Amino acid sequence: MSGRRPAILLRAIARLLIRGPESPYVLSDLGDAFDRDIEAGLPHSRAQRRYAANALASAASVLAARLRGVSLRFSWLDVRLGVRMLLKYPGLTLVATFALAIGIPVGLAPMHAVDALQSNLPEDPDGRIRMLRYWNVGLLAPAPTSFDDAERWRASLSSFEAIGASRMGSYNVEVAGTEIPAPGAEVTASTFDMLAVPPVWGRVLLAEDERSSGPDVVVIGESLARSLGTAAVDLVDTTVRIGGVPHQVVGVMPEGFQFPWNQQLWLPMRERPAAVPREGRPVTVFGRLADRVSPDRAQAELSAVHAALAGEWPDIYRHLNPEVVHSSFMAFGFPKGGLRALPEFAMIQGLTLVPLLIACVNVGLLIFARTATRTSEFAVRTALGASRGRILTQVFTESLVLALLATGLGLFLLNWLPARILASFRFIPMPYWLTPELSSATLLRALGLACASAGIAGVIPVLRTTSRSVLQVLQRASSQRSGTRFGLTSSVMIVTDVAVAVAAVGFAIGIGHRVATTFANERADGIQADRYLSVTLTMAGGESAPGGAPDPSAFQARFGAAQTALVERLRSEPGVRAVAIGTALPRMDHQTRVVEIEGEDLPPEPANDGGGHTVRTALVGPGFFEVLRAPVLAGRAFDGRDLTGAAPTVIVNTMFVENVFGGHSAIGRRLRYRAGNDSSRGPWHEIVGVVGHLGMHSLTPDQDDGVYHPLVPGSVPRILLAIEADGEPTALAPRVREIAREVDPRVVIASPTTLDRVFEGDWYIMTAVVGGVAMLVGVLLALAASGLYAIMSFTIAERTREIGIRIALGADRRSIAMQVARRAIIQIAIGVAIGLPLAASVFFEMQEGSGLAPSAWLAVALALAQGIGIMLLVALAACLVPTRRALRISPVEALRGDG
Amino acid sequence: MGYLGEFEQLILFSVVKLGDDAYGGAIREAIEQRTGRVVSSGAINTTLGRLADRKLVTCRLGEPTSGRAGRPRKYYAITPAGARALKASVSTIRAMAGGLTAKLNRLAEDEG
Repeated sequence: MSGRRPAILLRAIARLLIRGPESPYVLSDLGDAFDRDIEAGLPHSRAQRRYAANALASAASVLAARLRGVSLRFSWLDVRLGVRMLLKYPGLTLVATFALAIGIPVGLAPMHAVDALQSNLPEDPDGRIRMLRYWNVGLLAPAPTSFDDAERWRASLSSFEAIGASRMGSYNVEVAGTEIPAPGAEVTASTFDMLAVPPVWGRVLLAEDERSSGPDVVVIGESLARSLGTAAVDLVDTTVRIGGVPHQVVGVMPEGFQFPWNQQLWLPMRERPAAVPREGRPVTVFGRLADRVSPDRAQAELSAVHAALAGEWPDIYRHLNPEVVHSSFMAFGFPKGGLRALPEFAMIQGLTLVPLLIACVNVGLLIFARTATRTSEFAVRTALGASRGRILTQVFTESLVLALLATGLGLFLLNWLPARILASFRFIPMPYWLTPELSSATLLRALGLACASAGIAGVIPVLRTTSRSVLQVLQRASSQRSGTRFGLTSSVMIVTDVAVAVAAVGFAIGIGHRVATTFANERADGIQADRYLSVTLTMAGGESAPGGAPDPSAFQARFGAAQTALVERLRSEPGVRAVAIGTALPRMDHQTRVVEIEGEDLPPEPANDGGGHTVRTALVGPGFFEVLRAPVLAGRAFDGRDLTGAAPTVIVNTMFVENVFGGHSAIGRRLRYRAGNDSSRGPWHEIVGVVGHLGMHSLTPDQDDGVYHPLVPGSVPRILLAIEADGEPTALAPRVREIAREVDPRVVIASPTTLDRVFEGDWYIMTAVVGGVAMLVGVLLALAASGLYAIMSFTIAERTREIGIRIALGADRRSIAMQVARRAIIQIAIGVAIGLPLAASVFFEMQEGSGLAPSAWLAVALALAQGIGIMLLVALAACLVPTRRALRISPVEALRGDG
Repeated sequence: MGYLGEFEQLILFSVVKLGDDAYGGAIREAIEQRTGRVVSSGAINTTLGRLADRKLVTCRLGEPTSGRAGRPRKYYAITPAGARALKASVSTIRAMAGGLTAKLNRLAEDEG
């Protein structure tokens, strides 16, 4: 004997998995094999791995042996019996359906989400249309593609029968005095060749429309015509004003066509390749694969074309790899393999299957208890000639009926909930190809999960209950005992249920506390958010040099002038108190970057090695802090000096000063950004001012180190305005739009809403998470309670005679009750002992960085104790009913059972 | 008498070889040492159970061991029927393989 043994967990798992009459000998042999490995000089870890492999293979062999010779035969009678069992045991039906109806959609959700997010375009059910893009291997993110990339690929790639470029934007569309902002796109004529969708009226864009000397034309969608309050056919060959410029409508696309996102109008892309590759505004490039060309072959050709170009322009194409990816990647910037290839996806998929597995095993426990009461029925049937396979089929069918009922409910939830959530996000434009509806793949997976659930919950219990000989069972049946015992599995399940439920209570309290803190912080940050109107400001189209090449500086000058003029006009407008501009407004999600401080000793690039300080940043216009009532606490605010860019300056928030400088003065210190490669490392910026905290992320409004930069008008293509109103802010929206049109017809004002509603979407997510967690806690509590109830009822029923006799002999009822409930109480206690530290760690992990005051800990501990108290009460109530029933048994009745 | 599968033959050979010391763990080790095949304890025990059902082996319980939580070992011995079945299987293999070794070797080399 070596004296060393396999880890206790491994032994426990082996005991759990290897069941049946042969299991003691198999387990004994497993131990022998382990000893021999150790004696042969194998390291303990290697011997453990061999033990685990042997245990798994043994479990499979034992199960296969038990199933061997079992012939399954389906009968409609079994289905009828299954339905009858649902009605006969309504409590079990309710709990089991509830548990599986939550478990199945949760288990299906990741794959369903992937299916929805990676849908093919409706015009391309076969998935032949692919996106062509660059991937920055340094930053591990997509890099922009330019018009000249698209042109080059179009000329040199034979793997695609058509390649098109598009650029999305917002446009002001005016017809007969009615003006609305509409999403549109500049597209190459080849885009329509690629999509091959015929117009409902007129024609699509043609190559000659791309000539800058040609007439201004537009193709509109039927949905735009409807928004304008007119029939699409009436608009053909008429003139509409887009950004103040008259355009002739040459065609109307069908209602469902909104390529590439939610576009309602399409303008010809009138652009010439820039002198240097990758200059100019970014475009999105799609191509339709030629017949019998696989995406891999297209990728190989694209890589070959790129290699030649990268050799010519090494600096420009450093870190960039061209990729042929699924069309949906335009929206989400996934790495090449898509969501399924992410290691996080496998983890999430695994995690989401855990609740289903827990639900299945718990339901299995309930079905086991029910099946155990039918042992004598099975024995009599076996004696009358029914095969084990026949009984197995019947119980499997009964479980399947239950699982299918739950699956139907689960699928309904899975179909209904995402649609409701998407409807809540109506203010966020969703891509038109996103299909949250259930796909046939999801239905098949659901069916698979239902069968697996029925197998785990139904077949394993019946295998256990039918493993004894007929004679043995009949003997026990005659003494009104099933002879079935709840072993280690049930104990492990109850302990796990209680532990997970307690941990889930901690999680629920953590979420609830987090939400409450966030709400409180929002109210405390001093901004009267409901008094500000928030709008986004963009300018449609671009500016071109006389030769047709893009002219970014001309665009910047025009957009900058429009911004300045608009802000000035608004400030003098009645009903407007003040106007602030920036790339993000308080509490919106600000961009995250990593900075280093001058004089700090930091490891070299790349930044993602853990060095530097993570900050949230925004560009803000002059007077931004004043307008939002956030006075500069030290140093100065931005002014005209900061806009020249000669000596870059920044203002930081108090959080930054506290976390980076330990509360010491930050004025005059310098910082710069760190990035994935040297070329994007920025210049040093001097800190000239310190402001209070304004909230830089909706869910963590009080914990972000913030860095603000001066906003040079026109330097970014999309900015936000916070307009402080005297009255109802949204009432100002039409006037803002009107002034914007007067300033420059190409300026587009979109998403008008009050500042307190800009992060509404995050609240929907929070509410959904809180609701989901509450439901999960409910399910776990119900499972734990029902599992305990089932086992208690069963155990007491088995001991009826013994309890009756003991009471007849004058035993103390309380001590009997304690003895009966002891097992349950021990299980609950172990569960709570495991769950409590888990709950505490989950709770405090969730409050990480939220500035939870030590004084609040006591309240939290009390809340947690309250949660656990509720759990204990529920569990004890589950024990109470069967125990009371046992104590009421009369001795005569108990003895009568002894036949 | 019935046909014996290859794995059943291996187990019966091990039982014969081990004599009074033929229990699951020892049989597994014997197969592993002689054939290099790693087999699971579960497969050995379930196959032995099947052979016992077919009356090709008998089993007896040993004394409880100290290290296995008191679990006893099951020792197996081949029955005359088992010995006959194994003998018949060996004869069948021999009859079929007779004179073919050289050819097999040649074919295997060609393949390589």
